[in-house]
Amino acid sequence: MYVEKGNGLSILLKFGKLNENKRPTIWESDMADRNRESSLTRRSVLKVGTAMSAMPLLGIAAPSVLAQAPTKSPTKVLDFMTNADMAKAEQEGQLVFYCHENEAGTAGIMEGFRKDFPKINTSYVRAQTGALYNKILSERSAGRFDVDVIQLSDLAPAVDFQKKGGYEHYVSPESPAYNADHLSTPNGYFFWTGVDPAGIAYNSTKVSAADAPKGWQDILNPRWKRSISCKISASGLQFVQWYMLRKLYGAGFWKEFAKQNPHAFDSRVQLFDRLAKGDDLITAIGEYPAYILFKDKGAKVEFVAPADGLVATPLIVGAVSKAPHPEAAKLFVDWAMSKRGQAWYQTNPNLYYGSVRTDAPPMPTGVRLGDLKLLYPADWDDYAANRDVFAKEWNGMLGL
Amino acid sequence: MRSEKSTISVQTMAGYGVAAVAAVLVLYPMFFLLQASLDVGDPQARPPTAYGFDNFNGIFQYPQILLNTLTVSVAATVMALVFGFIMAWILTRTNVPGRDLFEQLMAVPYYLTPLLGALAWSLLGSPESGFINQIWRALGGSNHLIDINTAYGIAWVMALFEGSVAFVMIAAVMKSMDPSLEEASQIIGASRLRTMLRVTLPLVLPGVLGAAIFVFAEMLGSFAAALVLGLPSRYYVITTAMYQMVQQYPPKVQIAAAMGVSLFAVMFFMLFLYRRIVMAGSYVTITGKAFRPRVTDVGKLRYVFFGICLLYLFAAVGLPLATLLYASLQKIAVAFPAAGNWTLENFRIAVTMNAVRSALTNSLLLGLGTATLGVVLMGLLAWLIYRSPLRGRGLIEYVVMFPQAVPRLVFAFGLMWAWVVFPIPIYGTLWLLLIAYLTVFLPLGVRTIAGVMLQIDKSLEECAQMCGASWAFRIRTVTIPLLVPGLIAAWLLLFIASIRELGASILLMGPHSKVITPSIVESWFGTSSELTAALAVIQTLVVAIAMIVLVTVTRRVGARPVE
Repeated sequence: MYVEKGNGLSILLKFGKLNENKRPTIWESDMADRNRESSLTRRSVLKVGTAMSAMPLLGIAAPSVLAQAPTKSPTKVLDFMTNADMAKAEQEGQLVFYCHENEAGTAGIMEGFRKDFPKINTSYVRAQTGALYNKILSERSAGRFDVDVIQLSDLAPAVDFQKKGGYEHYVSPESPAYNADHLSTPNGYFFWTGVDPAGIAYNSTKVSAADAPKGWQDILNPRWKRSISCKISASGLQFVQWYMLRKLYGAGFWKEFAKQNPHAFDSRVQLFDRLAKGDDLITAIGEYPAYILFKDKGAKVEFVAPADGLVATPLIVGAVSKAPHPEAAKLFVDWAMSKRGQAWYQTNPNLYYGSVRTDAPPMPTGVRLGDLKLLYPADWDDYAANRDVFAKEWNGMLGL
Repeated sequence: MRSEKSTISVQTMAGYGVAAVAAVLVLYPMFFLLQASLDVGDPQARPPTAYGFDNFNGIFQYPQILLNTLTVSVAATVMALVFGFIMAWILTRTNVPGRDLFEQLMAVPYYLTPLLGALAWSLLGSPESGFINQIWRALGGSNHLIDINTAYGIAWVMALFEGSVAFVMIAAVMKSMDPSLEEASQIIGASRLRTMLRVTLPLVLPGVLGAAIFVFAEMLGSFAAALVLGLPSRYYVITTAMYQMVQQYPPKVQIAAAMGVSLFAVMFFMLFLYRRIVMAGSYVTITGKAFRPRVTDVGKLRYVFFGICLLYLFAAVGLPLATLLYASLQKIAVAFPAAGNWTLENFRIAVTMNAVRSALTNSLLLGLGTATLGVVLMGLLAWLIYRSPLRGRGLIEYVVMFPQAVPRLVFAFGLMWAWVVFPIPIYGTLWLLLIAYLTVFLPLGVRTIAGVMLQIDKSLEECAQMCGASWAFRIRTVTIPLLVPGLIAAWLLLFIASIRELGASILLMGPHSKVITPSIVESWFGTSSELTAALAVIQTLVVAIAMIVLVTVTRRVGARPVE
């Protein structure tokens, strides 16, 4: 697997299929991690430095990466490896999951884990990434530690949470199957459990293929005024789209978009629900997984992949520090990273995430994530620094 | 025999104890709400680093939201009063067939909740996909017949489902009015319509005015319908804007709190006005002459009135429930589904979701807990306020009625901050929701019980006292047995109110304390409308079954003769 940087704005991911037999051993992976960490960039030094200095925030003791006690040998559970103590995890008997995903998707993730581990009950809270992150920060600042694992749809709060010492440091034995770019720096805080790419989607009964938008700039066509949708400011993917298209087309792009009086919603399902019923003609942020879901239902919707690329956000999973059920949290992280968990994420109709696992099979449509031209921020730090600018502009556009 | 002094002492201590509990429940969260609204320092810092009034100035950055709130509230109040007045007049003054049954059925929209109504009417009246508009276009119409995502659409749903309150208040006024005045009007040749407009209406106008102010205050704090129907068209009112501001990242908590406090101030003033109107003797419509409310024979018109009653209940109950069921059985809800569009998949997914797996059970448990504890607490408070010689009971009444003036969502703000820093770890548990419910339902419970309590002659208690019965003995053997029917009614009311609660719960739920109504809202935000409809159908069924069981049980208890 390699990463090809585009014009400085995008990263085009291409996946070479890694032979199962050539999967690196844990030792090899550790070496790879060390090699990666040895070639430190200024950014990674800053990240670790900031992370270490900010640990006492929220009353959380700094987890010492270097002084971490050696973990016991991983054990095989079902068909994946874990460092979690299975007996203890089952004794804990509970997993509390905070997730950005829509209700059915979050329930779907928990359903998959519960099927494999029926002795562990699951409960969850779902909200968009921004709202979820507010919630967990408020709770922790008040000394409440109720959550075991968190999944966010935005790298910026994940990095911030890492800096605040919010994640438990746990290096999964499944992490060798991931490229370093899809793991936290250093490894062990979070990983990319999938990628959510989005293009433009339209209602094919009300908009002909000829009239449909072809590229991102077509969403500014006055024809779509009051019949175009987008997501709210708490969405991680919406932030990525705002950031990337602003880089591509300038700050005026979104000012023009505001004139369209878009309808904004919380989840991709709401966007496609309205699209399928004709309440909106197009959505400016049509997520590919939702497109597949609605096509399966027989909805008259079509997907457009703009030539400049699909905006994409990583879906970030990590075990939380001071978790009430730490072994269950580790087990979940390993399960989610494993081929088994990734297959669940990738094939569940309410999820359909694109897996970045190096040995991941294609998505249910036959498309591999590597076949898509994806637009990610090239500089995640600059991206994170723009969060407030985005929120102000986006909320202002929506009258809030 | 105990001395009178010790009796008073026990009574006084118990009284002040209960009053103190009520005061803590109400005032402790209000302190945090006020604190947040005056916090102009670092939003992340707690306690606030600086205080000021800038947040209140900030409200005026949103003139559109203020205007929207006013528009929706006025429109909803007018519609609710029209519905309430017409229904109250028909059911109290005419011989419409089945009037007793209709009077009971008028409470059903209240039980069904504005949220379910809004979900159903969203499916019915969205400009493009609404079933009514689809049928309209199929019949040759163009564009759309109705648009529910407008101020008037929101007001329509609020009036349909919260209009029951207007009906109850206006019906009470009409029942207390001397019918001989109407009869006199008709005798001298006025038509029924003229009598209604020139005699009935002016007579009940003060009562209607009181109801109008009360209903307007309710509408100002209303949340569910504006959330479901306003968001698609970016039509925010204060409560939904506050909710959105808290959900944003970064959140605008301080300005949301300032909005909440301002809303509270307006509602407090409105309710103060309502109280003044109700208390003012000059507006009493009951004369000193004894009379019995009588109904007028309206001839064949009664069938028209029967149709009007049916139409109201159809719009508020039958149509919404049928719509939700119809949508829940489809992959993509449309008015004219193809054969392949039918599915039970929504119900299959629904049972994997927290909303059904735990939220329903939690809601039922909370309903039982709130109703049982509430009846005890609120019964004692009602007795203290209206029957005891306790000093300062007027002040207790004000404290107890305080939550009436605070929108539940606003109250939940204060509760959230109050209990997150509380040393006992109840944040994120069902206990917090129980406390929240007991607090926000104080006015409802106390008023319901007080209504019955005031009908019981005080001399019965005094008689027991003269016979030497202690305070506790009097309460147990005289007051409570006489109050049983009222207490059962209050218990059922609190049970239902708990299960349908949304505003306070939506901010206070945790992973282990999901409850059903906010879970449905979450589902609406995050899943398809068909799946949300399935959840709403399941909730309605479970609550209906619970109600049937409870009513059967309580009727048996209530039917037992008092010894």
